[in-house]
Amino acid sequence: MEVTRMSSTASRTYLDQFPAEAKVIKAAFWSSFMALAIGGLLGLVQALHRTDVLRFIDSADYYTVLTAHGILLAITFTIFFLVGIFTWAVTTSLDRGVVDIRFTWAWYIMMVVGTILVGVSILGGVVDAIPMYADVLFTFYAPLQAHPAFYVGLVLFVVGSWLAGADWFRTWWAWRKENPDERIPLPTFMALTTTLFWYLCTLGVALSILVFLLPWSLGIVDSVNPLLTRTLFWYFGHAVVYFWLMPAYMMWYIMLPKLSGGKLFSDPLARVVFVLFLLLSTPVGIHHQYLDPGIAEGYKFIAMTNTMFLLLPSLLTAFTVVASMEHGARQRGGTGYLGWLKALPWRDPVFTGMALAGLMFAAAGFSGMINAGMNINYLVHNSWWVVGHFHLTVGTAVALTFMAAAYWFIPQVTGKELWSRQLALGQVLVWFVGMTFMSNAMHRAGLFGMPRRTAEPQYQGFNFDPAVGTVGEINAQVALGAVLLTVALAMFLLNMVLTSFNDDSDSLPANTYAGTLSGPEDSPAVLDNLKLWTAIAVVLVIVGYTLPLASIVESGGLFGPDIGGFQLAIETDPALVLESVREVMP
Amino acid sequence: MRISKGALLVVIAVLIPFVVEFRTALSWFGIELSVLESLVLGGAAILAVVLWAVWPPNGNAEAELSGSR
Amino acid sequence: MNIHKYEKAWLVAAMVLIVGFIATITYGAVGPGIAMIDDDAGSIDPNEISDHERFGETGVEHLGGNEYEVDVVAQAWSYSPSEIEVPAGSEVTFYVTSRDVTHSFTVVGTNVNTMVVPGQISEMTVKFDEPGEYGILCNEYCGQGHHTMEGLLTVVPEDEFDLTELSTDAPREVEAGNETTINATVNNGMQDGLETTATLEIGEQQYERDVTIDGEGSAELTFDVDTDALGAGEHDWTLTVDDHEESGTLSVVSETDGGDTNE
Repeated sequence: MEVTRMSSTASRTYLDQFPAEAKVIKAAFWSSFMALAIGGLLGLVQALHRTDVLRFIDSADYYTVLTAHGILLAITFTIFFLVGIFTWAVTTSLDRGVVDIRFTWAWYIMMVVGTILVGVSILGGVVDAIPMYADVLFTFYAPLQAHPAFYVGLVLFVVGSWLAGADWFRTWWAWRKENPDERIPLPTFMALTTTLFWYLCTLGVALSILVFLLPWSLGIVDSVNPLLTRTLFWYFGHAVVYFWLMPAYMMWYIMLPKLSGGKLFSDPLARVVFVLFLLLSTPVGIHHQYLDPGIAEGYKFIAMTNTMFLLLPSLLTAFTVVASMEHGARQRGGTGYLGWLKALPWRDPVFTGMALAGLMFAAAGFSGMINAGMNINYLVHNSWWVVGHFHLTVGTAVALTFMAAAYWFIPQVTGKELWSRQLALGQVLVWFVGMTFMSNAMHRAGLFGMPRRTAEPQYQGFNFDPAVGTVGEINAQVALGAVLLTVALAMFLLNMVLTSFNDDSDSLPANTYAGTLSGPEDSPAVLDNLKLWTAIAVVLVIVGYTLPLASIVESGGLFGPDIGGFQLAIETDPALVLESVREVMP
Repeated sequence: MRISKGALLVVIAVLIPFVVEFRTALSWFGIELSVLESLVLGGAAILAVVLWAVWPPNGNAEAELSGSR
Repeated sequence: MNIHKYEKAWLVAAMVLIVGFIATITYGAVGPGIAMIDDDAGSIDPNEISDHERFGETGVEHLGGNEYEVDVVAQAWSYSPSEIEVPAGSEVTFYVTSRDVTHSFTVVGTNVNTMVVPGQISEMTVKFDEPGEYGILCNEYCGQGHHTMEGLLTVVPEDEFDLTELSTDAPREVEAGNETTINATVNNGMQDGLETTATLEIGEQQYERDVTIDGEGSAELTFDVDTDALGAGEHDWTLTVDDHEESGTLSVVSETDGGDTNE
């Protein structure tokens, strides 16, 4: 009945069980933290610049900073942490190490090399000594053209993550030979289903880069079809958000119940949720293109419907996680309809961080429903509202869960006790409060039309008209939030650094995860049939994407009508600037 | 203490989004608060929660106040 | 599979919510008729925008009745035209395309919001009920000057709106005693006919002409100016058709001062 490995690994940390794997995971975590440190600091620079509170960079350089912020946080920070967590989840739940640790190091190093290439090419935007340009933001929409190193770096990073997935599959196949009749342990099931949709969705961006953008930036082909590469990006671009989110979900399913003092409410429902994400994560990407020309309304409607059904697994998760927390609280002596909340371990930063992250994800779900609403999207598309939304999802549901998880994981993989639990508790609370201020103001600013991705959202010919308060108050609120978030970030990093200087401890908790009230034996075996679910996911993708892609290629050509690359820097073409100045003048 | 210090901190943190959004919500009814008024209101709400939390519970009062039975 | 009864209830509630959302969006599409930007306007070669039937000449065009078309080209970092004027109560169809990278055409505070992808034409139809001023901005990153890309949309009261264009052709200098003319061309961009008066004021003199122009037509006006009556000297003139005004200066020189005329 119990799926936890408590008996075999009593009071042994992950480091004791899997010392070799622990080293890779530690390296991945630190890569992730470094990206978080740099990316987070750049976020503060942007928030102060946009709101005109403090401008010490040139507005033209804002976009270099924004590119670095987006890539470092949305890609590097999240995915390095993820590969660490999934390696932990697979090895812990299968109770066996990876098949070949050299392979594990190989994919980690490949991801590092990719990150460095991307990072250096972005840095070229502000450092004259680096003759590279990659001010193309996280979405790298053609015909904005980056240096080939930028695209090569992205490919290396993604292929590294593919190999990481292969590593988890190999480990599972090896386990399967040893345990032919057992159900896939839940954490491994979660890692594998997530990997499968990652393979499926990254095919799009790999195609976009390898067939179109990289040859185009190298001058092998001289034209692209911007709508095609854009659609291929979003084929990947929505599923990637679930790629970040799934490790957070995993934490909520298998750690939060344990921390609450109880068990996961239902193993079968958890499996259903992850299967639904495998099926639906990819054929929804067109909802990022509701306002794109060249895509028929019918395809947008299909993407909208799929997106709405993607709410289902998240709503189920909300139920299961809260029910598991309540179960835990009642085991700890909590009573009453709501009184049980008092019995939860609020002094534990790991628990509190994850619980607050979950709470903010609920708010993010509501703004996400607005985004998904095809016609209401006209009002908020590409406004600051969207930035508010994803700072609640990836910036809190994911980032805060990861930081809270790190307070448990870093001791597990280093054998050292966390430097300060009080500081950690303060950190998760300050992050929550900071994000409240920042995200709320961003949402409201989006409603009166303030755009995202803009260095100076202050215009010559008109002013914004907020429904409540003033633009100045909105800006002040964003700046305050950003400062609090930076403080929280510093608190987190300080705690991590000082923890690594701690002495080894032997009073650390054992490496365990939550048991279940309703275990895998309650779920039909078909849920573990990964081939079946992958096949259905592929069919859904084919159904959702064949016609739109075909019509884009038909109308614009595979390589577009002679559309070359643009690197629109202010100093590169003074004539262009003069022309635009003249146009704007009345 | 009616609730643990950790829980008190969490309650205060969770109160903040409500204070921030309260201003927007009130404007639907034509009541426009200034930032200062919002701050005062938020401060008062936090003070009330702190007082409630540290007030020594007497008899069954705790159960009633926390909304449980 | 063993599902707790509360969980079943939650599942049902979640499905009701999801179906409800889809229903409201469907209602928005078929009830109020909020159409999405789609592929109706077709594709375009960005290198041939200047020769394109629609974008060769940008700006506002009258289609008849209260229907107008506005053709806009977006480029780093401006819109052409950057100022747009349409009448209240009109139904305006915007066609927007890009000369270089991806932009947006976003009218602040309204539902007019579309991505402008090079190679594609965005089409959207909007009704403007009330007069007002709206900012236009680009909300998709388009290079280092992205934040300077803006425009202005003015919805003017219906009776203040026309698409009349006035141009003049007049000599700068004329010898006293000679006959001279000030010529004007009045273009009526509306589909409806235009009946109005053109007035030329020069010095103390005033000339008037009744003008009748068919829809999409133009009229040539000729004003014979009596230079003797004006006398030698600089004479400012103003030609007015409705709210449109053109002005200039005519120098009348006596034969004896002459020397640098008509060279």
